[in-house]
Amino acid sequence: MMRGGFERKSKAASEIPSSSLADMAFLLLIFFMVSTTFRKEKKRDVVIPEAAATKKIEAPRKDILHLFVERDGSVFINDANVPIEQVSNVVGPMYMGNPSMIVVLRSDAEVPYRFVDAVTKELQEARAVRVTFYTNVEQRITRQRR
Amino acid sequence: MALVRKKNRVTGEIPTASMADIAFLLLIFFLVTTVFDEEKGLQIVLPEPAEEVEVSQKNILHIVIQANGVVRLKRGESPQEQLVQAGELGNIWRLEYAQNDKLIAAVKTDPTAPYKFMIDVLDQLQDAGAERISLQILE
Repeated sequence: MMRGGFERKSKAASEIPSSSLADMAFLLLIFFMVSTTFRKEKKRDVVIPEAAATKKIEAPRKDILHLFVERDGSVFINDANVPIEQVSNVVGPMYMGNPSMIVVLRSDAEVPYRFVDAVTKELQEARAVRVTFYTNVEQRITRQRR
Repeated sequence: MALVRKKNRVTGEIPTASMADIAFLLLIFFLVTTVFDEEKGLQIVLPEPAEEVEVSQKNILHIVIQANGVVRLKRGESPQEQLVQAGELGNIWRLEYAQNDKLIAAVKTDPTAPYKFMIDVLDQLQDAGAERISLQILE
């Protein structure tokens, strides 16, 4: 293959055409800008407990009501502080308007149980009996299924 | 002037070479800050206020969560109580349920016990496949 002393090195252009990178970036950007939705309610200062049996809830967003119970026992629904006795008055009409409503109880892990119990009693009174205790998936490395 | 002056074309364009950079920056920002808020948790259906079902004692497993987190077990019929850790409840439930498939878990929690103890117990029970769980407060 050696012909004489000189061999013209063939410079193969090995670059991938990157002219469309900007196009792709804009496309992805538009996608994120359009699909990002903002939370309707403020994030509350609640430490969520962990549970291994945490399951995803398959319910449309409109059927879900968030109920926050903070460490001192104060209950927040839609960013409004509701005294525990009033919870059934607030949730009752909501449930009447949407019988397939699910109440997600986001309660702080250290709240004394009596507050949570009072809230669940109020929910029972309001007939909103489909309740989910909001938890994070527990990362238990030691749990092995045999 | 015999010389033809070369027209000075004043370019009125803003340099757009950095548009792609800005696009990537914003993209990375959104990619990093978007959090998917999943609805998840332990599901339970509370009994309606009037529902009080008579259940025979032998079909009840009393689980009492004390303020210190130690769980007191009492099998419906026998007066004997057993102290266990919350982590053992999954296996205990499986054993008990294997002997009696009508078994109901009656979980009574101390009013001053932190909520997470109840969640631990509920988690163990649901993970072990318990479906009939009753949540109450310890009077």
